[in-house]
Amino acid sequence: MSAGRPLPYGDPAHQAAHQFLVEEAALLDAADYAGWLGLLCEDIRYLMPVRVTTARGAGFDSLAGMAHFDENMYALRKRVERLATDHAWTEDPPSRTRHFVSNVRTFPAGGAGAAGGVGGAELRVESSLLLFRSRGDTREADLVSAGRTDTLRPAGDGYRLARREIVVDESVLRTQNLAIFL
Amino acid sequence: MVLDLAAVASRVRQGMIPAHVYNDPEIFALERDRLFARSWVFLAHESEIASPGDYVVRRLLADSFIVARDEAGVVRVMFNMCLHRGMQVCRAEMGNASHFRCPYHAWTYRNDGRLAGVPFHEEAYGGEDGFARSGQSLLPAPSMDIYNGLIFISLDPGAPPLRDYLGDFAFYLDFYTRQSAAGVELRGPQRWRVRANWKIGAENFAGDSYHTPHTHASVVDIGLFREPKASKRKEGALYMAGPGAGTTYKLPPGDLAGRLRYVGYPDEMIPAMVSSWSDAQHALVADDGFMVSAATLFPNLSFVHNWPQIDERGTVAPFISVRQWQPVSERETEVLSWFAVDAAAPERFKRGSYQAYLMCFGSSGMFEQDDVENWVSITDMAGGSMAHRLNLNSRMGLTSAGTPIKPPMAGFSGPGSARQGFGEFNQRHWLGQWIAHLETEPARPAAVDLGRAR
Repeated sequence: MSAGRPLPYGDPAHQAAHQFLVEEAALLDAADYAGWLGLLCEDIRYLMPVRVTTARGAGFDSLAGMAHFDENMYALRKRVERLATDHAWTEDPPSRTRHFVSNVRTFPAGGAGAAGGVGGAELRVESSLLLFRSRGDTREADLVSAGRTDTLRPAGDGYRLARREIVVDESVLRTQNLAIFL
Repeated sequence: MVLDLAAVASRVRQGMIPAHVYNDPEIFALERDRLFARSWVFLAHESEIASPGDYVVRRLLADSFIVARDEAGVVRVMFNMCLHRGMQVCRAEMGNASHFRCPYHAWTYRNDGRLAGVPFHEEAYGGEDGFARSGQSLLPAPSMDIYNGLIFISLDPGAPPLRDYLGDFAFYLDFYTRQSAAGVELRGPQRWRVRANWKIGAENFAGDSYHTPHTHASVVDIGLFREPKASKRKEGALYMAGPGAGTTYKLPPGDLAGRLRYVGYPDEMIPAMVSSWSDAQHALVADDGFMVSAATLFPNLSFVHNWPQIDERGTVAPFISVRQWQPVSERETEVLSWFAVDAAAPERFKRGSYQAYLMCFGSSGMFEQDDVENWVSITDMAGGSMAHRLNLNSRMGLTSAGTPIKPPMAGFSGPGSARQGFGEFNQRHWLGQWIAHLETEPARPAAVDLGRAR
């Protein structure tokens, strides 16, 4: 799946990427979506394919031409704007969410030989995500497990998210909607 | 609680809905045995299995079916259970295969269902005498039929032809699934499970224009979609036709091409729409000014056609979604939501339409999000004992004496009957079909003996 070796965990670029993901998760759990948008590049592509069960030899395990999310900045802004209205019933009362981010691995996106270190090159960052989502008082909580592959682009004061692909681990989602971000 | 079906039926026929029907295991068992054991139910679209050997695996409640295109190009729907020991023959949900081999004892079936291989047939069975291999097939769906590429099955071997079942609803189905001679292509489905009763979505899409201004206020607030405002929504016509019913929006003045352009169809697509649709279909848009939006074909297949703005410049792009409310239990539904687009549409249009779909409907759609919140909540409330003491009012549009507060529209170009403004005529139409099935004794189909003693 990933080419090359990840940067050592002590590498400042890896540490910056890891911190980026943890800080991002804190914004999402706090429902600070305006703050979250500030972490994204204007040309972001935010993609969550639909996984399917296929034979081992099939050569594919997600749908072609259909995703759960396939968003640009306009679509993400509209989603955030909507959640900020007084009429986004599905998140009012809001879900209690916890984004657990782990298994973070950072790769220089510039290919072989690209140096580590903060600044300069784009980074490819892989992580595991477990979203816990609870609604109401007694409903069974939802869990969404996914792997993510991100492209982080250096910006003046750190990194911005240029691309995210969320590879969900279920074919049939067991959460009532994706009125949340992963 | 012991179910008093006659009492439920009598209430439903008066436009009252005993609230417990939205979360009642006894009702669910009747739906399984009397409704889904008989009705035509959608499984897949031909575009999902375009080439020989392509297959998808779909369920009708607990029954798994392989929907395959065989080597001769014929669509086959087969019960996904090995004839020998009952294993699920195909455990992938899609792919391409010339044969399906059961993992248990390697009985092998061609993609048209015919049994092709039984290991050690001679040694184990003494050849054809002990077990006649020839002429055996995976059980075909008792009835299977196709309209506009939509593949339906019925568990009733005596089901009427699908086209007869669709009746006047076929007129409206064409707006979603026959915009050109090429037909539609379906992409998806997104699948997710919601803790809601399956009937709520089906009824909602059939005719609930009344919920749109409030439930979907947020999408108007953010300028995504111009139409759902109450002032516009109540100008739409609600129609009932055959086993289906749906909602429309009233469009601003214009001719056929102008109105198709208003909802975002590019000029390149309009001639094909004109030639694919009948004069009456043209007239519904051109003369009456109505554009189809949500609809439900009884029992659990719905359609939606909306036209949001997909960029900052205000580009309007229409999309179509086909969706199925697949019952899991009285309190859980699997939603299957496809994006549908005219197969002959320009790629640029397909991209914009897909973007419009994702923003509005499906697992992440901004309309759908708020719908499901409501439906989960209704199901929750319907599961207790107090729900047996409340009959919900589904009489919108009727006087206390039961006469409509306004007459059907005169001169509506589509078949069936139509009314302008809010009303629950369509939901009552749906519920009337539902209760008729529940009151009809189930057939007791004979079981097939596989190679029995002679």
